[in-house]
Amino acid sequence: AVVNRIDVTGNERVEDETVRAYMTVQPRRAYSDQDVDDSLRALYATGLFSDVAINKRGAVLVVSVTENALIYKVSFEGNDKYDDKMLLTQVKSKPRSVLSRAKVEADTQLLLELYRRKGRYRATVEPKIIKLAQNRVNLVFEINEGDKTGVARINFIGNHAFSDSRLRDVIKTRESGLLSFIRSTDSYDPSRLESDQEALREYYLRHGYADFRIISAVADLDRERNTFFVTFTVEEGEQYTIGEVNVQSSLASVGPEELASAVRTDPGDTYDSREVDKTLEDIVLEVSERGYAFAEVNPRGERDYENHTINITYHVDEGPRVYIERIDIRGNTRTRDYVIRRELDFAEGDAFNRVLINKAKRRLKNLGFFKDVAITTQRGSSADRVVIVVNVEEQATGELSFGAGYSSAEGVIGDVSITERNFLGRGQFVRAAVGGGESTRTYEFSFREPYFMGRRLSAGFDLYRRQYEETDYRSYEETTTGGNLTFGLPLNEEVQLNLTYSAYQRDFDVADELKDGCYMRKYNRGDPIPRSCDRNGDGKFDRNLDTDEASLAVKDAIGETFTSIIGYSLIYDTRDDIKRPRDGYYGKFQQEFAGVGGDVAFIRTTVEGRAYREIWADRGIVGMLKVKAGHIESLDDRLKLPDHFFLGGETIRGFGTKGIGPRDGMTRDALGGRYYIAGTAEATFPLPAVPSEIGLEGALFTDAGTLVDVDDSANFFRRVNVVGDNGDLRWAAGFGVIWHSPFGPIRADFAWPIVKSKWDETQVFRIGGGTQF
Amino acid sequence: CSTKEEEFDGTPADQLYNQGLALTNSGKFSKAAQQFDKVEKEHPYSRYSQKALIMAAYTNYTSGKFDDAIIAGRRYATLHPTDPDTAYALYIIGQSYFKQIPDVTRDQKMTEKALAAMQEVVTRFPESEYADDANRKINITRDQLAGKEMEVGRYYLERRNYVAAINRFRVVVTKYQTTRHIEEALARLTESYYSLGVVSEAQTAAAVLGHNFPDSEWYKDAYTLLREGGYKPDEDKASWISKAFSRTGLI
Amino acid sequence: CFGRTYTHGYVVTQETLDQVPMGSSRDQVLLTLGTPSAIGRSGGETFYYISQTREKMFEFMQPEVVDQRVLAVYFDDENRVREIGNYGLKDGRVFDFISRKTRTGGADYGFLTQVLRGAGNLTPAQGQLPQ
Repeated sequence: AVVNRIDVTGNERVEDETVRAYMTVQPRRAYSDQDVDDSLRALYATGLFSDVAINKRGAVLVVSVTENALIYKVSFEGNDKYDDKMLLTQVKSKPRSVLSRAKVEADTQLLLELYRRKGRYRATVEPKIIKLAQNRVNLVFEINEGDKTGVARINFIGNHAFSDSRLRDVIKTRESGLLSFIRSTDSYDPSRLESDQEALREYYLRHGYADFRIISAVADLDRERNTFFVTFTVEEGEQYTIGEVNVQSSLASVGPEELASAVRTDPGDTYDSREVDKTLEDIVLEVSERGYAFAEVNPRGERDYENHTINITYHVDEGPRVYIERIDIRGNTRTRDYVIRRELDFAEGDAFNRVLINKAKRRLKNLGFFKDVAITTQRGSSADRVVIVVNVEEQATGELSFGAGYSSAEGVIGDVSITERNFLGRGQFVRAAVGGGESTRTYEFSFREPYFMGRRLSAGFDLYRRQYEETDYRSYEETTTGGNLTFGLPLNEEVQLNLTYSAYQRDFDVADELKDGCYMRKYNRGDPIPRSCDRNGDGKFDRNLDTDEASLAVKDAIGETFTSIIGYSLIYDTRDDIKRPRDGYYGKFQQEFAGVGGDVAFIRTTVEGRAYREIWADRGIVGMLKVKAGHIESLDDRLKLPDHFFLGGETIRGFGTKGIGPRDGMTRDALGGRYYIAGTAEATFPLPAVPSEIGLEGALFTDAGTLVDVDDSANFFRRVNVVGDNGDLRWAAGFGVIWHSPFGPIRADFAWPIVKSKWDETQVFRIGGGTQF
Repeated sequence: CSTKEEEFDGTPADQLYNQGLALTNSGKFSKAAQQFDKVEKEHPYSRYSQKALIMAAYTNYTSGKFDDAIIAGRRYATLHPTDPDTAYALYIIGQSYFKQIPDVTRDQKMTEKALAAMQEVVTRFPESEYADDANRKINITRDQLAGKEMEVGRYYLERRNYVAAINRFRVVVTKYQTTRHIEEALARLTESYYSLGVVSEAQTAAAVLGHNFPDSEWYKDAYTLLREGGYKPDEDKASWISKAFSRTGLI
Repeated sequence: CFGRTYTHGYVVTQETLDQVPMGSSRDQVLLTLGTPSAIGRSGGETFYYISQTREKMFEFMQPEVVDQRVLAVYFDDENRVREIGNYGLKDGRVFDFISRKTRTGGADYGFLTQVLRGAGNLTPAQGQLPQ
């Protein structure tokens, strides 16, 4: 058909010219029905019109349109949980844009969904349209939020191995209760229910329940009381221990025995899905090193129902031969490309291997720079090529934080610190902190580059100045100013070698100064008190100072000493979580050589070992064994007091600070020792009575240890009555309460010495905490 | 429910529009943008609303409110697709993205958007006065995207992963041949192929570099590198590099 | 126990070699082995697939190229596979790991020595442009 003119009717705001521009039909040229359809679709696509009709009248094509009204203003009423500004950004209908029935409907659903996510299931949203002159409207969303739909009760059906309270700890949804005003996790959120089920499955699979199944997770709403009852029905199945384990490989030159070393699931262990995953990872790495970069490893379990064992066979075979064509990094508006790219073990051109991708994802998440990391793949330019897209969602990595704490030794202490973990998007760590208390002043600055010279080798330095005034526990003032340089060389995923150089200037002084004829003893509370005076100026003091005098050993150390140390340490760390470890080991062997310049020379060797294990998973009890030992040997004439080891309440609870070991019988000053050994056995458990969301944990522990062999080779020691240097084992036991507060863990311990030496200083109660940095 | 009529301050369209113009001339761009928004809101059917919309896009852009400028520009282009001012609206959109281009070590999403918008200006309005600046901006954005490829290529070259490095420099040679990074890309190809041992490809890369950019610093480096090993630039027509260049007839 | 090995580029296994028997077409080779790292000319066209093996003793070190392999697929003038060689360096000399023979001559002997000698002392000239 052909028309020689196109007329447009019904338009007010949009010009005829604009409507014609969108149409594929042109005057005096043939057009088909298809052109009409295309034009209709194009006109609707502009969103300007609520209705379009095209019909031919003789030689004229008439396009009659009804324009969508124009929104003058969008407003919300009755909204409290979300402010207007935020809602305005969410809804599609914007001021000055065109009103469309579909958009308003979509906005209403969107608002309801937003309120469901805040746990407001009773919320209602009413869109109201108010006509204005010139085909304009006001759009008002009348919202009635209704009060919070809490979660009255979470219960589990079918769980025998783990108690309801233990499982409630595993999932994130909480019962509304005491702290519901500050927490949002106690309101019902369907998406969180999904992740709760995943958490339950993962928990059971880690504790041997290979057949675990969630039959249903139901949340039914009690309308009147506006609360939810969440019920998880589970089928635990049996707890399996591992029977035989073998590896079958279809790869020509790789025999199963060669892969046996990579298997972590040993016969007799309880089945643990994490160990299976780690085994998959190790086998793939082992096999890809032999050139089979495309290997795939699939575990298959045969269950033996009588004696509840599961035989695992790892099938290793050739996966699809796909290469990585490109790796595109997206979403990094702050972090630089290479900071992300260097965490990937694979590069462009390498073989595509799913296991290495999961490992990279884990590594990127551990950086702590990203809220979320998603690695997806897209088809490459040919069948055997794939493009990997690493999409990151960045989060704030800078913190300005205030810490406050109380420690029995230093009284109230507080600090202010600024930390940036991703400095200038280069992955560098920078921290500056100022701290103080009644008797302390600390200033610290530290910087660390995780990839020094482009290698996975961290290099960093710290500068600090710490002033400790004299207190009831310390009869001297000590100001240390110094810095250290550390290189961290990871040898493999678990073992790291650190090389350190540190140098510090220590200014050591005793507090008594002579003022108008009297020796003034400074105490940290109140101004100095005259202790012994020479009223008439004849040089004789009214009291013999010696009794309260600081120990000669302390006086011997008065003055400034500069110490310069090089050292190395080997660290082995397989703890599952640094803040609250439940499983894994930590070992450290360190040797330091002072005497590279400086005034003192010694060799100091320390060793530490810690083992964590979940001894009773059901009650959430975590056991920890710790052993620490140290030896220091002077290389020049003798070891001065401050360089000795000191042992006390911070390691063997139940004793005072520096409460153990050799002491000056007269002045009771601790003299320190050259050997020490200390051990701890502790069990921590969530307090049964207290709801777990408050974060209170109890602990039962026993500490033991000793400190011996003060260096008394100096001749002044002939006049010092050294006591307590007998090396018997001190032993104490007690209990503690830990509160994982929003400010960080705060811990109070009550411990009683069972075996102690007459000269030791004891202290039953000790508290410490504030933000741990 | 309240209809908040009072906001409708009833100044006629032309007065509002002129206030906006006055504010623009005196440099108060964000205030001007508000006036132009008012014109469009309160007098959508007056002929000023069309002019106000384009001015809103301009003033939002100059006062740095890029998102608002893009929304206004996009609405103008939809409402008046064939109008010559749409060229300016699209140009403003391109400029708004262009101003947010990050350095090469970051996600180049904004660069890609700027490129697409400027290309829309050039394809839909080739003769408009903004076409040649749009073309210039296209070259700059393409140069930036080529820079990103070079950045990643150098990353792999530094770690001696020559296969990966070659792929990245290949993208620059095939897709971004007209950007100023082509010289370095050819030199890096010489270096990568040479280190990998494929000397024939290294010679081709150096030869093509020599033909097209005889006095470039990069060519001197590539030439000396080959000569140290006793080789000299020599083009093998079968190589993908010379094929990539012969297609564009640069030689 | 600390070291890690990485293979980059093309990975040759017996399974893949069986899929490109003598006489298979150029497209068949492109389909199974993919795009070659380099194309040469000795008689008919030749596809070279280069792969690198890199090793590092400890996690913090930079991986070093320790071995370089070239899979060479020779075509006759009808673009049919005439011969395949999987070359690597064996005590300093070019060795064909398929025919188990030491290569001494052949048109691309020069090319192969360059690539493989590179593996011997890592790269022929370890040439680095000024960074």
